Amino acid sequence: MNNNSAVPVDDEPLTSPDDALALIKEQRRTVTKRQLGGIPWVFGVWGIAWGVGFLALWSGYDGGNPWFQLPLAVARAIFGAIFLAASIVSVIVISRLGRGVRVASGFGGTVFGISSSASFVAVYLIGVALARAGADGPLISLYLPAGFGMTTGLLFLMGAALWRSVGQVVLGAIIMVTAVVAPFFGAPTNNVVMAVLGGGSFLIAAVAMHLGLKRGRC
Amino acid sequence: MIELDPVIHAAARLRISATLASLDDGDRITFPRLQELLDMTAGNLSTHLRKLEDAEYVSVHKAHQGRTPVTFVTLTRRGRRAFEDYTDALRALLGGEK
Repeated sequence: MNNNSAVPVDDEPLTSPDDALALIKEQRRTVTKRQLGGIPWVFGVWGIAWGVGFLALWSGYDGGNPWFQLPLAVARAIFGAIFLAASIVSVIVISRLGRGVRVASGFGGTVFGISSSASFVAVYLIGVALARAGADGPLISLYLPAGFGMTTGLLFLMGAALWRSVGQVVLGAIIMVTAVVAPFFGAPTNNVVMAVLGGGSFLIAAVAMHLGLKRGRC
Repeated sequence: MIELDPVIHAAARLRISATLASLDDGDRITFPRLQELLDMTAGNLSTHLRKLEDAEYVSVHKAHQGRTPVTFVTLTRRGRRAFEDYTDALRALLGGEK
């Protein structure tokens, strides 16, 4: 930190209860903004990942994108690369949010972290089992986005319960609804639903949280 | 007559208390991170932390992360209660404003 930019403070008592209360509110707002300021970026990155990734998949299947088609291998590579990039960005941003703070009980966060990774692996393994049992490509392409979407939505709801965040309840619920609704559109249109409804929800959440932090409402 | 705790009722210490109270009970924060969240100089922060420590409102622990010395600051139970009592007193003075 540059000490020249530090706010000068003295030992004088505050003049009025109004000033004191305003100072508390202002400081809480500053702390929230600095601690959560990276979250809208994480939401934004996932919004782009869902949007671009699922549209790429949609463009990789026959009967998908009417304007152009990608080789399925390329579409899957784009999807994998963009989700990997979003995961890396999330880990970096989120690990920086908690820097300098050592929590007394990290039990909730640890359970959340481990169960997140484990549940995504579980969804994938169930997909492998379904494929081995004879599920064909279109069926798997309905199952995997829905499975990962449901898991993501549930994790947001778990996170909302842990960190008492109403915004996460809304986002988690929308992601879950998206995951449930998308397979009803059939393959490969389910990918468009995931891209527009899921990706769009992340982007709206990013903007809403950014504005909320700016106005001190988070 | 409602009296405000003189240890907390100073701009710098009120901001420090409000910042530490925003963490969960028992959570510790490093001195540099606290300084960053408060935009205060190290000297100024140390001075006010000492006053809060004398009142047993904060505890300061020195530890090592590898070979690097790290100073952790935490709000004590007594400090958290004092801050809550202080904000209750403020609201009472302002006629129950939330």
